[in-house]
Amino acid sequence: MKSPFAAWRSSLVFRVTSTIVALSVIIIWLLGSALFNQISSGIFDEKLKLSISDAQSTARNTQLQLTFSQYQDKAALKLILAEILAVPPKSFESAARELAIFSYAKTKSLYKYDGTSNLLEANSVSEKFRILTRASKKTVWDRTNLKYIDGKIEPAIVVGHNLTIKGAGKYEFYVLFSLAQQSRTMALILNYLWLTGIALTLLIGLITFFVFRRLIAPIRDAARVAEELTAGNLELRMDIQGEDEIASLGYSFNEMAVSLQQQISRLENLSKLQQRFVSDVSHELRTPLTTIRMASQVIYASRESFDPTISRSAELLISQIERFESLLTDLLEVSRFDAQAAVLEIEEVDITALVKETIDYLHPSQDRIIQLWAPDKPVMVDVDPRRIKRIVRNLISNAVDHREDKSIDIQIEENENEVSVGVRDYGIGFNYTDKKLLFERFWRADSSRARTTGGTGLGLSIALEDAKLHQGEIDVWGARGLGAHFVLTIPKFAGGSIQSKPISAQPE
Amino acid sequence: MTLIMVVDDDQDLAEMLGIVLNGAGYEVDLVGRGDEVMPIFTAQNPDLILLDVMLPGLSGVEVCKLIREKSMVPIVMLSAKGDKQDVVAGLEAGADDYMVKPFDPSELVARMKVRLRRSTAEVSSDLQIGNIKIDQIEHSIIRDGQIIALTRLEFDLLVALAKEPGRVFSREALLSEVWGYRPATDTRLVNVHIQRLRSKVELDPENPTIILTVRGVGYKAGVPGSSQ
Repeated sequence: MKSPFAAWRSSLVFRVTSTIVALSVIIIWLLGSALFNQISSGIFDEKLKLSISDAQSTARNTQLQLTFSQYQDKAALKLILAEILAVPPKSFESAARELAIFSYAKTKSLYKYDGTSNLLEANSVSEKFRILTRASKKTVWDRTNLKYIDGKIEPAIVVGHNLTIKGAGKYEFYVLFSLAQQSRTMALILNYLWLTGIALTLLIGLITFFVFRRLIAPIRDAARVAEELTAGNLELRMDIQGEDEIASLGYSFNEMAVSLQQQISRLENLSKLQQRFVSDVSHELRTPLTTIRMASQVIYASRESFDPTISRSAELLISQIERFESLLTDLLEVSRFDAQAAVLEIEEVDITALVKETIDYLHPSQDRIIQLWAPDKPVMVDVDPRRIKRIVRNLISNAVDHREDKSIDIQIEENENEVSVGVRDYGIGFNYTDKKLLFERFWRADSSRARTTGGTGLGLSIALEDAKLHQGEIDVWGARGLGAHFVLTIPKFAGGSIQSKPISAQPE
Repeated sequence: MTLIMVVDDDQDLAEMLGIVLNGAGYEVDLVGRGDEVMPIFTAQNPDLILLDVMLPGLSGVEVCKLIREKSMVPIVMLSAKGDKQDVVAGLEAGADDYMVKPFDPSELVARMKVRLRRSTAEVSSDLQIGNIKIDQIEHSIIRDGQIIALTRLEFDLLVALAKEPGRVFSREALLSEVWGYRPATDTRLVNVHIQRLRSKVELDPENPTIILTVRGVGYKAGVPGSSQ
């Protein structure tokens, strides 16, 4: 599972979907709250209008009832007031209405007619509102809460009037309208709004996700096909449906792939043809070269019976045929690398023994020129011995060619996974800028310089290819007049790769 | 006189080979086509055959197989291609050795001499390798009373290993001892012939007891009497 941050970075679908969902949450929230406010104030205003007109008529009726009632004593008045306050308890929520009568005076209470309907607590009407009512000639209203003796509380509107009771003085008259019904309606509406909002957000998210994924599917397809093409699977094409812009992207993409494939196969054919030609030429040259070589040896064998110029010619003939032959062998090897037909034949060998053999082969008598520094115990490696010998041979021959009568040091070092063979000479060296050219075919350090040995100019290039076949590397250091240091590093085990190098090309 | 049969379709090369071999003291018989080899071989019975791989009529590898059905005469293949498949095909068809063109004629002659050499120089009659008895006088190999047919090269290879039972031979050592090679040449030749030899003398070539592999070094002789 990807972290959201990673998904945000890597997936366009995720990014677009989450942005759209976030935006819709904000919009739905704003719209929802505006709608809710509208509805709730509408409902409240309606209720308020009804409540005020109801309260006004109730107040008027009550005043009339009190004014025209014929009561002789206080008990009769109390009875009438009780009758007025005997509002039916709430059976129908819509008609929920309570009454309250309070006398103006607070302290001197010889005989008071204060009362509320249905066990309503007197403090349901706030002191502040009572002061406002007493001061006002008109109808006043306020929001309040209905508080009952049993602890029940309901939101309500209170409408206040003044009453004049014959023989008892000024009284406040309050009609209270419960808003419980309205609150319940609002709560219900709020729930529905939430539900609708969440459903809408999910729906928008899902639709965006699927639509967008469908939309960029061809782009994903294109990316996948492009990757496959890069990996070399040139046959692959995009699926195209319909005639729209996306389809035209597909057409163009496929056209590009076709043209790419044609170009590549054309180049491949050309290069194959070229390599085949080089290989064929090399092979065809071998048979006549064999004959020439034998003929020259026959002539060379009897050179003493010739006069000196012919005798010398026979010698030159032999040496040049040898040079020609090694050139041909190297050329054939290079064409094999170019055709990628070179394969490793891995064996487990002691690289020290292998290097020793190569030194002995190249310089059986001149053991003072080349010094070998190697670990005491055998260094076992999985390599193609033929190729490793050839690399070492090429590096040593190269050093011998350029040593300028100085000695050559060969060093073998190993670590856990790699082994290095360093060949150091103290001869003419080379410019640092020549470093890249060293491994170029037929490149020579100093073209004006006469060749001492019959190097073909392909030796280092072949050595590098051989090293690469082993997942190895050849590092080079050189300075004019100070000599050169070539270091071959290869993994000790087949299929390994180089992590570190036991010998560095840069001398200490 | 020793008769060498040279089979090559390149007339100039064949003639040149004739001159060189005559100079080395051999009698030479030149053949230009692959399908002409067998009648001449039966009639002349040469001591050694130099066989080109690419021949008109019948390929060198096919010719090699036909000869091996009849004779254990030494065969040296001449190839214009140094490619592995080519060489291995020839060796597996029964050739003892191969030379890649352009070869050094003196080396060719040296190798031919090794192939022609009668291995009677130092006869110790009862050599043993693994559970196999080698009779050097009779030039035969006996396992459980049965004679096994080997080419002369295979016989030489086995004798070389058997003569020094404790020694581990590197491929290079075997090359110079059995094939007469200079060092730093291709050791694949040894691998192919060891495999061929094993397929003839070992009861189970996958688990050899007569010619043992020493990892990273080479080969050595199996101990006489070890279980088979």
